[in-house]
Amino acid sequence: MQNITYKSIFAAITISALVSSCKPKIDVPEPDKGSVDASKYVAIGNSITSGFADGALYYDGQMVSYPNLLAEQLKLIGGGDFVQPLTPAGSVGIGSSANAKLILGYKTDCKGVTGLSPVPAAANGDYSIFTTSIASQGPFNNMGVPGAKATTVVYPGYGNPANGFGNYNPFFTRMLAPSEYATASMLAKAAAQSPTFFSVFIGNNDVLGYALGGGTGDVITPSAGGPGVGFDASIDLIINTMTANGAKGVVGNIPDVTSIPYCTTVPYNGLTLDATQASQLSMAYSPLGISFSEGSNPFIIADPAAPGGMRKIKSTECVLLTTPQDSLKCAGWGSTKPIPDKYILTDTEISNIRTAVAAYNSKLQSVANAKGLAYVDVNAFMANAKTGIAYNGINISSTFVSGGAFSLDGIHLTPRGNALLANEFIKAINSTYGSTIPQVNVAKYDGVKFP
Amino acid sequence: MRNLHKLVATLIFAAPFAMSAQGYQVNLQGQVQQGMGGAGTALIQDGAALFYNPGGVSFLSGNTVNVGVSPTISKGIFLDKNTNETYHTTSPVSTPFAAYGAFELKDSSKLKLGLAIYTPFGSTVQWEDGWAGRYALTRLQLQAIFFQPTVSYKITDKIGLGAGFVYSNGKVNLQKDIPVVDNNGNVGHAELNGKANGFGFNAGIYYKPIDKFSVGLTYRSQVNMKVKSGDATFSVPSSLESNFPNGKFTASLPLPQVLTLGLAYMPTQKLSFALDINYVGWKAYDTLAFDYENNTTSLIDTKSARKYKNTFAFRLGGQYKITEGLAARLGIAYGISPVQNGYVTPETPDANRVIYTAGIGYTIKKKFGVNASFYFSQLKRTDTNLETNLSGTYKTNVFIPGLSLFYNF
Repeated sequence: MQNITYKSIFAAITISALVSSCKPKIDVPEPDKGSVDASKYVAIGNSITSGFADGALYYDGQMVSYPNLLAEQLKLIGGGDFVQPLTPAGSVGIGSSANAKLILGYKTDCKGVTGLSPVPAAANGDYSIFTTSIASQGPFNNMGVPGAKATTVVYPGYGNPANGFGNYNPFFTRMLAPSEYATASMLAKAAAQSPTFFSVFIGNNDVLGYALGGGTGDVITPSAGGPGVGFDASIDLIINTMTANGAKGVVGNIPDVTSIPYCTTVPYNGLTLDATQASQLSMAYSPLGISFSEGSNPFIIADPAAPGGMRKIKSTECVLLTTPQDSLKCAGWGSTKPIPDKYILTDTEISNIRTAVAAYNSKLQSVANAKGLAYVDVNAFMANAKTGIAYNGINISSTFVSGGAFSLDGIHLTPRGNALLANEFIKAINSTYGSTIPQVNVAKYDGVKFP
Repeated sequence: MRNLHKLVATLIFAAPFAMSAQGYQVNLQGQVQQGMGGAGTALIQDGAALFYNPGGVSFLSGNTVNVGVSPTISKGIFLDKNTNETYHTTSPVSTPFAAYGAFELKDSSKLKLGLAIYTPFGSTVQWEDGWAGRYALTRLQLQAIFFQPTVSYKITDKIGLGAGFVYSNGKVNLQKDIPVVDNNGNVGHAELNGKANGFGFNAGIYYKPIDKFSVGLTYRSQVNMKVKSGDATFSVPSSLESNFPNGKFTASLPLPQVLTLGLAYMPTQKLSFALDINYVGWKAYDTLAFDYENNTTSLIDTKSARKYKNTFAFRLGGQYKITEGLAARLGIAYGISPVQNGYVTPETPDANRVIYTAGIGYTIKKKFGVNASFYFSQLKRTDTNLETNLSGTYKTNVFIPGLSLFYNF
């Protein structure tokens, strides 16, 4: 009996040894740091850098911010801890209008049709995020502050409540001790950490503020002017400060806002008419020389320069994602009433944006070249996303919701989008500094969550 | 929700050729032939000739029954080129079997009737949970059984002709994850399950002009395995259920035609050599089309380029009879992959391959016997798939020990 036991144990060992020796072995390349010293990495940026998503800054979004994902990969070449100004886990977060994050839910429109739509996760955002100082958890490697512009990065007192409502940034304030309010700038807080490696991805808001308000709410930061006023001088100050100790880094350029879902989701010709409606509208608009036909028609938009202050939207112009859908469906917006200018980016406005973005990007590239920094063409990456990117069998695009790259605000990225962006940074770093930092596995990160 | 189809763009009904570059003719047929690199078209030794060369069956003496199994142990690893992450297959051991029976109607008849039943593929490829290519494939299981009734006629003492009708019956189960997630983090999943069948034939001629030399030529036709009414089942967030309706699908998969030239040389009574050259018509596998009964904007019919090319395989084996009853065999084979660069997939991490085989056989009084075979091959292929962009190196070790019994009467 014992003999048999021994024999069967021996057989089992032999078989399992045989089977395990079948396992193929493969040489995994050792990541090479090249000339990157990643021991202290600091990221400067705006909402995208902060991990803002779905219209709010909230914990899950911060955890997948592209610099946090990048920092994880940098750990493979000796990178240190990456501290972020985290909001409480499970909180609904807070957005720039004190709103909660958006989630995908069911919404019944003015016609009684229920469908999937972004809806706020709560009536209000978690205001305690603004009122609770987390300075003691710092210093923060992630110096991404929602709303920051190139010009405000260098601005001392950017988080000072004493400036009065609207003149300070509460997302920055929470990162500061009260004693720092009057003097702290994002740049100073970043530089004080003596980073050995940095990323700068800033400038979106220097045009985005203008774009998000349909060209009405804000002005585009001019290229000229001193630090804090002009884009170029602000960037010079940021990069000179960050490289003063010989730190290496990576600079991201600015994507064209017209390539993101915020601008591409509502079709310009979303006015669908039957024959009767078309002829009635044609009659009503005949004094302005505007006619309609059965089927799809371009929306009517407000334009002070047009006869009667309104005209048909052009195919190259965009209706912003924030346009109230019920107003389009039931209140006659776009047909009997023009869509207000703040929901439209006209050709002129788009042209202004593109001119500014081109100038910014040329500045960013020349600074990166001059300092030998890695340069990420985020603009080209977003243009690719517009047509679609295949990643390990996932087709990712900038199509709203279903594309999987953009969060429910149509501007900021999903975890999956952030992972792709982090990889763009890694590719640029590797090619500039001779490193072989492995990329993030994008397939591990989700797109929009569905109910 | 428009364009959601991009997420599933291709619910690919992938190639079921699993770990076999040479597809269904991986030659897990006959332990005698497997021990000799899979060559046996011109060297007629036992009932496996029903598969290797129906023309040679008429040269077998008496009646014979032969049953064998070839447990296939396949271990794969994938190194993702972009992330340096590695993932393993967790494929279970599959057990292809083959049974052959050849009978003469009366003693020393020139005519032999036979039946071969075999599983030319019967493997499962399964990747570990959460692997990098989960949205391309998580699991592919194939089972097919071929029935081949065969007639073989010895025209002269030197020439035999034979042909068999092939009926195949099988099932396929393909699973992959769908890149949509619900609020609890559950990822979507698709399962395609279907029964398939097809028809074909296997014909051959055997010519033995002199004692020391023989030649064989066979043609196995293409068999189109058709799934006419498979079940597509989707597990997705509830808000997307109408986008992914469960329903029927149809698909078709060609198992390629194979033309084989075999040569055998028997310098002494004890020693013999066999060489087979296969020309395989993989070009038939150009596109994988997948037709869903219930189409939605998310679930569209797909056509996926495979663009396989026709290939060759070369098989060489030797056998030495140590005693009257005991035979030892060695073989080597080289198979050229039909999969072109840019088209390597996780269900067919295919590569040009060298196959090493060995075997041993023992016969008691020419009546009863046992044969064992052993097959080893290692595949390595680095590629970036043009459709999925899945990029990296696949390495697969294939071990196939086999055992068969025969009885002559």
